[in-house]
Amino acid sequence: MKLLRFAGGSLLAALVATPAPAQELPNAKAVYDANCAACHATGIGGAPRTGDARAWSDRLGAGINALYANAIKGKRAMPPKGGNASLTDAQVMAAVNHIVGLTAAPARRTGAKPVDTSKGKLVYQVVCAACHTSGLAGAPKLGDAAAWASRLSAGPGSMYANAIKGKGAMPPKGGNASLPDADVRAAVDFMLTQMRGGTALPPAGAAAPNPAAPSAPTPVASAAPAVSVPVAVVLAPAVYESADPNAFNRLMVAPGRRNPPPAEDGIHDPESPGTALLQAPLLSFQSLPRANLGNYVNWVTALGKKQIQPRWDTRDPKAEPAVMDLNIVREVKGSMPDVVFPHKQHTEWLDCSNCHPAIFTPEKGANQISMAAIMLGQKCGVCHGKVAFPISECRLCHARQKSAGARTVEGPSAGAGRQ
Amino acid sequence: MSARWKTVAAGAALVAGVMMLCGGEREARAEYGDVVMNNYSDAAGMRPAVFPHWFHRVRFRCKVCHSDLGIKFKAGGNEINMLKIIDGQFCGACHNGSVAWSVENCDLCHSAKPGTPTQVHDSTINLLGGAGTAPAGASAPAGKK
Repeated sequence: MKLLRFAGGSLLAALVATPAPAQELPNAKAVYDANCAACHATGIGGAPRTGDARAWSDRLGAGINALYANAIKGKRAMPPKGGNASLTDAQVMAAVNHIVGLTAAPARRTGAKPVDTSKGKLVYQVVCAACHTSGLAGAPKLGDAAAWASRLSAGPGSMYANAIKGKGAMPPKGGNASLPDADVRAAVDFMLTQMRGGTALPPAGAAAPNPAAPSAPTPVASAAPAVSVPVAVVLAPAVYESADPNAFNRLMVAPGRRNPPPAEDGIHDPESPGTALLQAPLLSFQSLPRANLGNYVNWVTALGKKQIQPRWDTRDPKAEPAVMDLNIVREVKGSMPDVVFPHKQHTEWLDCSNCHPAIFTPEKGANQISMAAIMLGQKCGVCHGKVAFPISECRLCHARQKSAGARTVEGPSAGAGRQ
Repeated sequence: MSARWKTVAAGAALVAGVMMLCGGEREARAEYGDVVMNNYSDAAGMRPAVFPHWFHRVRFRCKVCHSDLGIKFKAGGNEINMLKIIDGQFCGACHNGSVAWSVENCDLCHSAKPGTPTQVHDSTINLLGGAGTAPAGASAPAGKK
């Protein structure tokens, strides 16, 4: 809740700030350096430090106009106009904008270009995520603005240096010495963008389309769409990592996220005019028998119960397949149950020529099949693991215990190959 | 204080709303078996095409496309282009305005995010090697001919 309030306040600040005069005068940096930096660069007298996102976000909660007013009229230890009464109001406001801009986009202080985070994200996932997702060994967690802000106050340059050379529990380059320095820096940049995105602070990325005013806070208006759920890390397609290290099924797709409508499914472009017209899988699947993986639909049962009636011919709705009921038993190594291949369930969907002879030689003992080949999309893996049930459903194929005394070819039998 | 609390509450409500709007935005969670085809689309300035396997297997057995129409068991391996489709090959065997809607409905197929690599979504190969990086040796033999 605290985070939400915090984020809420800063988002509100972003909205409030939108109509404010937010242009940075050319001399803003000079005004800042001469009048503000003495306290705001160091934090003397409780001054919020430039670059301390959290400190500034709290103050921005009342709106940028309140900041202007406090800077001009003074507040507590802050003297009016920073103690230099000769400054014009506009100069003070420009200096405020300068500070807010620096705080919003600390990466820019080094003159860095707008950050392309795709490389950094990849490096993060491979190298950094092990500690920085969970906060292992005191590592600042991805998206934890407070933890990052205190480290960021020394400037991103020192963060790069620490990431490359190591510091405390942080091993040099996250323990991957072969990583180029540029990749480490990219990962740091990525983590910083996540901090801003996760706390609804103006993201540096939002400033990218407006390079003419690099440190003006105008981009805050576009910050709202960039608000994201903190720590949305994608390890691999369809594998999601929860922010909570003890979350149940941490690496699995949450049930509510399966079968999303096309516009949200990750491969469809929501901007395409056709996307919204496409049927959502869930609509189709809700009446069909369930399975554990894949489409989460037991297609064979659905077909057997005539819940679906897929045609055998493009035009003739009455054409029927020639089903062959013959189980092939393959004895396998080790303790795994032998594989029972049911021709029946396959010939209900497929023609003989789909598999024979190109994929499987129709001859006893002529086919070398391994799980490795299947995982690489060969043999059974031509369909299983792509569209037919996935290979993690071991027992649907490895269905016959060794003690059954099976031999290579058996006659018709029901019950094998349940899907 | 109460005004400040209201401000905070309003801000929190706003954030919650925005989170709800953006929360669905995750990568790579289309349906198992969806085939993205991007042999030519990106280069031609079109969105890549998405073939929803699940939708079609509700309506046709595998054999119809993979035997009768000669579509190989290999994402992107059929070199389908619009000319062939208009000539009645591949998708065009049905997507001709007679069995299914015709090729004028570009956006219904060409609906993927630009730049999405050719892949079978959620497939084991994708999980092992990442999208669009099917090992060279993994090419599946043709279903027929």
